[in-house]
Amino acid sequence: MKKLAEKTGGILNFTDYKKKSARIGYGVIVALLVLCVIIALLPPVWLFISSFKEAGELTAVPYHLFPEKFNLGKIADVWGMIHFETYFLNTLLVVAMAVVCAVLFNGVLAYALSIIKPLGYKLVYGMVLAGYMIPAITSIVPLYKMIVRLNLIDTYLPLGLVFGANAFYLIMFKNYFDSLPGALFDAARVDGCNKGKMFFSIVLPLSRPMIGVVSIFVMTASWSDFLLPYLVLQKEKAMTIMVKIYDLQNTMGTVTGFGPDKLLMVLTISILPQIVLFALFQKQITGNAVSAGIKE
Amino acid sequence: MKKIVGVVKKNIGGWLIMLPSVVLFAFFVWIPLIQNVLLSFYDTVGFEKKSFAWFRNYVRVFQDPIFIKALTNTFFYAFWSIIIGFLLPIGIGLLLSELVHGRGMFRIGIYFPSIVSGIAVVIMWSYLFDPNPGAVLNSVLAFFGREPSTFLSNAKITIPLIVLTMTWRGCGSTALIYLSALQSADNALYEAARIDGAKARHRMIYVTLPHLKPTIRMLFILQIISVFQVFYEPLVMTKGGGPNGASVSMLLLSYQYAFSSFDASASAAVGVILSIIIIALTLLYFRFSRSEQD
Repeated sequence: MKKLAEKTGGILNFTDYKKKSARIGYGVIVALLVLCVIIALLPPVWLFISSFKEAGELTAVPYHLFPEKFNLGKIADVWGMIHFETYFLNTLLVVAMAVVCAVLFNGVLAYALSIIKPLGYKLVYGMVLAGYMIPAITSIVPLYKMIVRLNLIDTYLPLGLVFGANAFYLIMFKNYFDSLPGALFDAARVDGCNKGKMFFSIVLPLSRPMIGVVSIFVMTASWSDFLLPYLVLQKEKAMTIMVKIYDLQNTMGTVTGFGPDKLLMVLTISILPQIVLFALFQKQITGNAVSAGIKE
Repeated sequence: MKKIVGVVKKNIGGWLIMLPSVVLFAFFVWIPLIQNVLLSFYDTVGFEKKSFAWFRNYVRVFQDPIFIKALTNTFFYAFWSIIIGFLLPIGIGLLLSELVHGRGMFRIGIYFPSIVSGIAVVIMWSYLFDPNPGAVLNSVLAFFGREPSTFLSNAKITIPLIVLTMTWRGCGSTALIYLSALQSADNALYEAARIDGAKARHRMIYVTLPHLKPTIRMLFILQIISVFQVFYEPLVMTKGGGPNGASVSMLLLSYQYAFSSFDASASAAVGVILSIIIIALTLLYFRFSRSEQD
């Protein structure tokens, strides 16, 4: 209650909280938010619990929420059954490439557009923004054709490089570079620093926070990227986790012993890394949800 | 001539630095986009252009009942997304901004659905909407004395249910945008309103909402733009837009034309039509934001 007495900003402040009715109102605010958090967390929690059920238990009547026993061995069983490590490693490779490409190519282009500004930079930026308006999936056929023609089917190269041509990350970098003090670059120029050196010894070290934020975004985005990987990765051994999950869902029933209960466990395993990532970087993620959400 | 050499000399370094990224943008964004527009004006055989078709593909697409279905569905998606998902994040943002206890925890909890993204979560929802009478949500309905529902197989509620899952996923991040807008509100205005004797709800109507207005308008249009691009949910949850095309969206139809019926020109035409709608919405948004500044 002490915190309420110190609240100075917002619609309700400490003067309001002297009244009992306002304190009850605050209780309602907290209760509503608790309800929201429960709704936000319940589906994944349900998934986690249900994935420990055995095949027959999922459809058992009457419904019971918890499995008869939490057999932790089921994680390893399902993992081994579909050789999850293959898809896990494939996905890690794609994620790593995506992060490097996104930071390098968007960062460098943003550097050119924001600091070097060579002739025609406005045209390039305008084209980037124009392309940003139109959803990429609408032109997936020509892209797919080019990937086929370059013999890049079943390779990870296009899946990583595609993150290097992302207007959203580019804008994030550009806005950040725009906010850096220009005097710094003038001084470097006077000292005879060339453009490449300036990027690696001044811009990159200064933009570590922005690189961190973009990297986290790219990690979650590339981890759950689906359509392009689905079209490009046709060999089963080459699939990423998301592609494999879609494949499993479509072929379920034709594979003996792989039923819905196992699929739920695969889903659980596949979203755990995202939760770990979130736990590690939740400050950066929620702090930058503002710019991220605009893309959503 | 000398001048040109001078210009090239001055800019060549910058151009070379831009080159690799520009090539990537050309490969992944610009060329596919232009190719796609061209494709929509040609007859195609197996993804290859054959002969110029004028507007034949567009006429053909508009005569296809499934396209009309997808077009109207896309508007229904937008409609339901406004009904279900527009006010909710504003409310949550307001609640969060008034909160003084455990702010970090609540923020994390509310943002959580936005981070567990991807096909996995969409499949999770299709299991939550299990139409079996004994399954999880039907048991909840039974507990409240309601009849079991067939959920996604019931064409009347397929789109609202899909929108519900999209709201679950996107609401938290939108609420945080509102929260940050709310935190930039000028406290002196609240103070002044309080001195003038404005009650809490009046302070909300006359101080908070006008402050939020630009954000609300921006997110309203962005929400419509993003819901026009709904794709994964009907692809996975209703196995390609079922029942009977009740949930097929334009983007999904474009994909199906290309990769199920291998009709690249129809796919391109649908893609172009959708792009035009989205560009129109974007321009509308810029117009709004400009009139705001005047």
